[in-house]
Amino acid sequence: MANSNLPRRIIKETQRLLSEPTPGISASPSEDNMRYFNVMILGPTQTPYEGGVFKLELFLPEEYPMAAPKVRFLTKIYHPNIDKLGRICLDILKDKWSPALKISTVLLSIQALLSAPNPDDPLSENIAKHWKSNEAEAVETAKEWTRLYASGA
Amino acid sequence: MDSGDDIHDANDIESLNEDIESLNDNYDNYDDDAAAADYFDDDDDDDTHPAKSRRIEQSFTILKESDIRQRQEDDIRRVAAVPSIPHGAASILLCHYNWSVSRVNDAWFADEHEVRRTVGLLEKPVYDNPADAKELTCGICFEAYPLSEIETASCGHPFCFSCWGGYIGTSINDGPGCLLLRCPESACGAAVDQDMINLLASGEDKDKYDRYLLRSYIEDNKKTKWCPAPGCEHAVNFDPTGTGKDYDVSCLCSYSFCWNCTEESHRSVDCGTVSKWILKNSSESENVTWILAKTKPCPECKRPIEKNHGCMHMTCSQPCRFEFCWICLGAWRKHGGSCNRYESGEQNETEKRREMAKKSLEKYTHYYKRWASNQSSRQKAVADLQEMQSVHMKNLGDSQRQTELELKFITEAWLQIVECRRVLKWTYAYGYYLPDNEQAKKKFFEYLQGEAESGLERLHHCAEKVIQVFLSDDPPSPSEEFNDFRKKLTELTNVTRNYFENLVKALENVHDGNPCDLDKRPWGAGAMMNEMKE
Repeated sequence: MANSNLPRRIIKETQRLLSEPTPGISASPSEDNMRYFNVMILGPTQTPYEGGVFKLELFLPEEYPMAAPKVRFLTKIYHPNIDKLGRICLDILKDKWSPALKISTVLLSIQALLSAPNPDDPLSENIAKHWKSNEAEAVETAKEWTRLYASGA
Repeated sequence: MDSGDDIHDANDIESLNEDIESLNDNYDNYDDDAAAADYFDDDDDDDTHPAKSRRIEQSFTILKESDIRQRQEDDIRRVAAVPSIPHGAASILLCHYNWSVSRVNDAWFADEHEVRRTVGLLEKPVYDNPADAKELTCGICFEAYPLSEIETASCGHPFCFSCWGGYIGTSINDGPGCLLLRCPESACGAAVDQDMINLLASGEDKDKYDRYLLRSYIEDNKKTKWCPAPGCEHAVNFDPTGTGKDYDVSCLCSYSFCWNCTEESHRSVDCGTVSKWILKNSSESENVTWILAKTKPCPECKRPIEKNHGCMHMTCSQPCRFEFCWICLGAWRKHGGSCNRYESGEQNETEKRREMAKKSLEKYTHYYKRWASNQSSRQKAVADLQEMQSVHMKNLGDSQRQTELELKFITEAWLQIVECRRVLKWTYAYGYYLPDNEQAKKKFFEYLQGEAESGLERLHHCAEKVIQVFLSDDPPSPSEEFNDFRKKLTELTNVTRNYFENLVKALENVHDGNPCDLDKRPWGAGAMMNEMKE
């Protein structure tokens, strides 16, 4: 069974996630596979994502923590660094990954990315263009998407 | 015998005989191309040989593994001669500065602080572990360990032996990037040197790291390259101050290749033409089409890159690390995310190339047939030469009462044939790429090529067919006839040599006015070419 050889580090991290949750973030392991987490991030205040509840999935590959976790948005989101499949352009998930980072730091970074979109390093070309040419309008669209897809219903 | 043919004094004859004997010995060990290459290189005294007379001095050195290790160690020691740089740090500095001792020294004495920061050589720990602690928590597995089971890099971040082993192992198995390994702590830049690797990695990983370090010394150094022959483990150090534009290099394994582009020797035709031609001939044309369609070359090192996911901000893999925009291929730093330069130019270029290839298929077939038949003719000539050496020379010596030295003209003829077939082969690649609208140039080239080719055919015919009468089971007795044959073959050898020297000269003069695309070639070969022109 997949869970029988779970490294102590993952067990520790999971316990910590459940006992000391970060505000605005929840992550709980799946019952079938302790390496698979259901994640929810609340849209940070004073951003177009405020009031939204964003679902993500997080998976710890066999090599974790030597390799980065796989993370993806399940809720549609209008953001220049997140594409329509929910993939995230974030350095610590790629070449800046370090085994001293944790699930909680990854999720915090994603929350921070929602507060600070970076259209200069885009994943979604169209959204980034929109963001740069008419930020006010792009923010409106992001709010609209939050209302449509992330209202928690 | 006609005494006018060979005028040597006794010493000369003796030394030449030795030469021939040593050639024979060498010959037995090699076959095919290797053997011919060996010939060209061993007869150092023979300055009448076309391959030799043009090489004024050897501008390269062949390095065996022990030589490479010795040079690497010497360079590390030279850097470590600075009191504040320990051995392990010297190795890391050299890795960062492409194994150039002078660049390390320049950078270090210009701004030691900055160099330490970029390379990750910390002067004192940035992370203070409690002085009285008996146990420390590993930053990866979060378990507490006694101090004896914790190791830190110069920064002080504590990790247990087992996590260090896993971290180092993962990096080593990821490729040569492990040579620039940093502390596992996120955003900590402290370098992990070979001493730490040797302390913490498994035996297998240590060997791999050692291998990468050796490879890095050759591959990241602008003056050295591996011999491209399959299975050959030697490297070549090339000194560009040598003889100008002669890039021909012969390895100890007897493969001879062009230093500049690492394809087989192709003197008379420039590297750009050869590379285009080889790409064109590649039997894996499906792959080439795929590479053209799905990849883009890194704007810095030109290796093809496939983008499989993620954003437009690309970072080329080790050792290049160039950051660029996938869309416009411009440097990322200069362009800050917006890219309005996207036009369909890239695709048009590819399309155009395919269209042209289609149109020129017939033309291509013409040149390819001749290129390939000279290639196989050359291989046959190498085999014939070998047979001549091992079987016929002795019989011929007996039947015609000739000494080995007196028969040397036959070997020379065959060596000339082998060399000429190589040159002629490449002139067909050259001819293929000669622009159709340069009629005068084309005519002149085809005239020289035609002269050279018909000379070579006569020589080849004489060496292969006319000689048969003397090799038959019932050879004619020693006679004027054989002396006539000698005269004829020697003359044809000389005439053909002249034709080919003219051809090579003409082609090389063309290059002078029309330098090949060296600047676009990987690994900075172009930069070196420019230096050499001065």
